[in-house]
Amino acid sequence: MSLAASLGLGPATLALLIFGAMLGLMALRAPIAVSMGLAGALGYAAQAGWAPLLSFLNDLGFARFASYDLSVIPLFILMGHFATQGGLSKALFAFASVAMAPFKGGLAMAAVLASAAFGSICGSSVATAATITSVALPEMRRHGYSGRLSTATLAAGGTLGILIPPSVPLIIYAILAQQNIAKLFAAAVVPGVLAMLGYMLAIGIYVRLKPGHAPEVSSAARPKMTWPLVAGVLPIGAVFAIVFGGIYGGWFTPTEGAAIGATCTLAAALFKREMSWDKLAQSFYATAEASAMIFLIFLGADLMNSALALTQLPNQLAGLVQAWDWSPMVVVIAMLLFYIVLGTVMDELSMLLLTIPIFFPIVNGMNFGMPQESVAIWFGVLVLMTVGFGMLAPPVGLNVYVVNSMAKDTPIAESYRGVVPFLISDALRMLLVLVCPGVALWLVAFVA
Amino acid sequence: MAQHWADRLARACALLGGLLLLVMMAVTCVSVVGRNLLNQTIIGDFELTGMANGVAMALFMPWCQLRRGHILVDFFTAKAAPKTIQALDRAGALMLAVCMLALAWRTAVGGLNAHGNFSTSMLLGLPNWWVYAGMLPPLVVTVGIALLQAFGLTKAQKATA
Repeated sequence: MSLAASLGLGPATLALLIFGAMLGLMALRAPIAVSMGLAGALGYAAQAGWAPLLSFLNDLGFARFASYDLSVIPLFILMGHFATQGGLSKALFAFASVAMAPFKGGLAMAAVLASAAFGSICGSSVATAATITSVALPEMRRHGYSGRLSTATLAAGGTLGILIPPSVPLIIYAILAQQNIAKLFAAAVVPGVLAMLGYMLAIGIYVRLKPGHAPEVSSAARPKMTWPLVAGVLPIGAVFAIVFGGIYGGWFTPTEGAAIGATCTLAAALFKREMSWDKLAQSFYATAEASAMIFLIFLGADLMNSALALTQLPNQLAGLVQAWDWSPMVVVIAMLLFYIVLGTVMDELSMLLLTIPIFFPIVNGMNFGMPQESVAIWFGVLVLMTVGFGMLAPPVGLNVYVVNSMAKDTPIAESYRGVVPFLISDALRMLLVLVCPGVALWLVAFVA
Repeated sequence: MAQHWADRLARACALLGGLLLLVMMAVTCVSVVGRNLLNQTIIGDFELTGMANGVAMALFMPWCQLRRGHILVDFFTAKAAPKTIQALDRAGALMLAVCMLALAWRTAVGGLNAHGNFSTSMLLGLPNWWVYAGMLPPLVVTVGIALLQAFGLTKAQKATA
């Protein structure tokens, strides 16, 4: 008889204990992956015994690490770091700042544009935020933008990378929900572009309502678009065209696209004579740090999910939702609110890994008057946007934290004050996609 | 001294892992070009990529731990005294060392099993125990680094959520 059974613990109590242990460890600064792993392992052993836990661990590392499907993640991350080390972000911001110069708050809008463009060749939103911040923040401050607006803009711009393909969270959702990555990429494009325009609009409104955060536009010193500026962004356009042209033209799969994209980006950096042995090594170090973090989270989440599955709570929850007979829309809204609450303390990947295996079957079993695949894609885009919201919202917005740590003179409270207009823009866009699934779905129809 | 060697080893592992990613890129490019332009397919390119990824991800672990790159929540301890935070971070490193040790131990057992029952990849027939064997050393290095941190023998940055 197992420990849990001999103590007479019911499934709900047990699941709460496991989940509570995880949150407790997290609150005490244990790495999130370790919190999930330890709580999950103990919960598993308490229900099934130690021997099954040990044999579960035998192949856990191999199964998760030596996975062809998951190999896209380090490759898309490496692609982004090649682009950073290759000076592509610098060229991008130079181009964007000239393009947006006519507008008040133009440099902030340029940072959003550059983040969106960089997100199209970088899989990680934190990496996008950090990369664009390093080139854009000094320029914005030098031109008289406030710390509040600069840091908030850059943190928000980073979240565009979650929607704009390639995106690691999107790939993980596709794998968890067993959906076509290419179709999900397509579904995220329109919401991603809307997000970019929404952020620019938010900046335009904010600098008019709250003067003093951005300098006035002077027509005398307006820089001109020159050929070298345009030529600087061509490599990024070329890489994007090759990767997504190849994926949608049927030349290669999205998984292969990551390797092709990383190769093309490396080639572009070499072509620009911006790559050295040292920069290559820096790309590897940065990729190592980001990838190892993600893959350890996979292991922790696997243990946690197995322990929770043993409690039968996920099944009971699904049954309960059916029994309540709520309208499908209410269920989806409740889930999104849950993401917003959980997102205040958890990182996006752990959240997706723990919740999608439970939530997705529930959503998949409900009738929204759409084909099942459309529901899966629409729900994925909604979840990703909500997760992006969590990366920006206080008290724990990872992107805000990353950008703020690069701005020495700006208190974190100032940055959080600055993200409010962007959060409003996010909320409006989430409502739009919630009410009109077509915003996400129409482009998918063009994918064979 | 310990710091110096931990740094050296972690860097070497990360660079080796990076090289494996370059190999994965090369295999895929050759495969895609061959398939689309030369009408020739490489058999087992998926398997090679997957297996290389397995070893690469383990090789990335030491560097991530050295940099304290594993994401954690600092919201609830934001106002704690520096000494408390330091103690908690050491405890966190110790927990990670325990988890990583368990993973290394069971990966060794899994590798022995794979060796014993001759499990191989589907198309190329490459022995799976190669991957287990490649993963094991960097996992052990990670245990060592985490232990150094747990007992306050290294200085490194931390990542936060």
